[in-house]
Amino acid sequence: MRMRAGLCGLLMAYTVAVAAHEPAPTAQQSQGKALYNHLCVYCHSPGVWGTNRLAKRQDKDHAVLESRTDLTASLIRTAVRSGIGSMPPLRKSELSDADVDAIAAYLTRQPR
Amino acid sequence: MPATSLRPPGVSEASFHDALKAFTDIVGPEWVLVSEEDRHTYLDAFAPGNPDEHAPAAAVAPKSTEEVQAIVKIANRYRIPLWPVSTGRNLAYGGSAPVLRGSVVLDLKRMRKVLEIDAELGYALVEPGVSFFDLFDALQAAGGKLWISTPAPGWGSVIGNALEHGLGYTPYGVHADTICGMEVVLPNGDLVRTGMGAVEGSREWQIFKYGYGPVWDGLFTQSNFGIVTKMGVWLMPQPESVAYCLVSLPNVGDLPVMVDTLRPLRLNDTINATYTITNPFRSIVDGYSAQGKSRNDIYTGSGSIPLEVVTRELAAQGRGIWNATFNLFDRDKGLDLRLAAIQDAFAHIPGAKVQTRRWHQGEPIEQWMRVQPGLFALGIVDWYGGPGGHMNYAPVVAPIGKRVGDLYESIYRRFVEYGFDYYAGLLNVGQRALLVNAVMFFNRNDPEQIRRGRELYRVLAKDGTAAGFGDYRAHISFMDDAAEMYTFNGHALRALNEHVKDALDPQGILAPGKQGIWPRAFRGNRRPS
Repeated sequence: MRMRAGLCGLLMAYTVAVAAHEPAPTAQQSQGKALYNHLCVYCHSPGVWGTNRLAKRQDKDHAVLESRTDLTASLIRTAVRSGIGSMPPLRKSELSDADVDAIAAYLTRQPR
Repeated sequence: MPATSLRPPGVSEASFHDALKAFTDIVGPEWVLVSEEDRHTYLDAFAPGNPDEHAPAAAVAPKSTEEVQAIVKIANRYRIPLWPVSTGRNLAYGGSAPVLRGSVVLDLKRMRKVLEIDAELGYALVEPGVSFFDLFDALQAAGGKLWISTPAPGWGSVIGNALEHGLGYTPYGVHADTICGMEVVLPNGDLVRTGMGAVEGSREWQIFKYGYGPVWDGLFTQSNFGIVTKMGVWLMPQPESVAYCLVSLPNVGDLPVMVDTLRPLRLNDTINATYTITNPFRSIVDGYSAQGKSRNDIYTGSGSIPLEVVTRELAAQGRGIWNATFNLFDRDKGLDLRLAAIQDAFAHIPGAKVQTRRWHQGEPIEQWMRVQPGLFALGIVDWYGGPGGHMNYAPVVAPIGKRVGDLYESIYRRFVEYGFDYYAGLLNVGQRALLVNAVMFFNRNDPEQIRRGRELYRVLAKDGTAAGFGDYRAHISFMDDAAEMYTFNGHALRALNEHVKDALDPQGILAPGKQGIWPRAFRGNRRPS
């Protein structure tokens, strides 16, 4: 379980680092975080291929989705439902609209 | 019911409207998906060409076996072709898209229950929407005593991958061999259970494949004879130890000796799990994609990357030209014996290197063990800069050095002729077979490259067929081509398949064209040979 333990460790360290500046997460954001950790981290955690591709296409500051402050809910919904680059679309049967909204709430939780 | 711009072939607008209304009565309006946005999510995301060639007219997503049965009956009433998908992640083979344009996708992803885990007997009973991630998590929650065998991308369906003859990297790596007992909805809506599941109240469904009479499980793999709604899958008890092996040989001409040396070790079970031999290009590509690099980082010329560029790079990295990787599963003392036999076998080959590492029970699972699902393999598809995709030609060949070498070289010559980098892995299937998995990466924004890739597949198919080889699996665009390779006695096997198809599915509503099996009603859609 090293991979997941490592990811959890990173997330915990990040959570501690920003805890002093962020309000407590809403229920929707917490649900979004759980979904993100179940579905998205395999491509979008630091050092894996989705992150590497974003670093190449944009820059390192825009590579790790959880660290970004420029994402919008609309962009996230479009990327999930339409796919983007080599990321295929995710269907409603695997991720409902409410689930997508929760992930968007989590990824847009930081002030812009 | 919203209008959709596409209809199943031969179905009137009114009939299709009525069918969609009937589907809605079964699953509810939320799960009959007809909007442009929803239909887009069912297109082939890695299509080698225009994804509209295989566009579905709609999708319907049931939650239960009973709903599947009801949908199939409606499909028969209105003659609606259904294309069942488990999770729809069969990427590079069509994803969730149907062979026949205008089919309705039967999306089984909502059926995602792990119904049973038996740690004493080493099996699970699952529904089609259960992914390798889902089963891994369920097994961990149950104590981690059983391990899965997972293919490279882990978001696919446990059932779907086994039905499509997918492979993993453990002693249970031939996934179709781990199937034990199915529940199947037949094309007329009837429900059957195979093997011991046919005995009412049997508790032996998942431990004995054969039951009494013909064994049907195989007939529901790579076919369109039924919809599997439950399946037993055998799982490996957690071993005491695992050893990783990397065997490297230094010369371009070393493939035959690699194959001939591995063959007896696999046949006598010294190597007790799937092995993979990576060719020089694949060794470079895998290493580069793991670092987020792509083709331009090694070579900017057109055509196939020259072999000397690749071998020079591998030499600079201190790596072998031919690399075989596999894992061994045993107690520690057993691993000592296995590794000693492997070292002895390669000791006589000049320049051979055998590198190993180990894992012991209680230690964290490592990526090299390949028993935890991931998605790291997907990074490879962007080799040409992306957005990428790939097509595969993977003929079956016996692990006889000269035979494998000749086949490998004949494919290589065609890759060079058509200007593709020759990414190939020789994947071991069971104890007696290899697949030469030749992968054509392409940039989805480069129609000229895609056209050449499609031509390359078809010329490889002709070459291979003339030499007596057949593909083991095919993209939806090439399913007729793959069936065409099986030529004996005027394609008698295809004729038998279609005889069975017509008997089980007289209306031809279930996945017409899958594996090149066309029901009578749609047989005119077969691609001319």
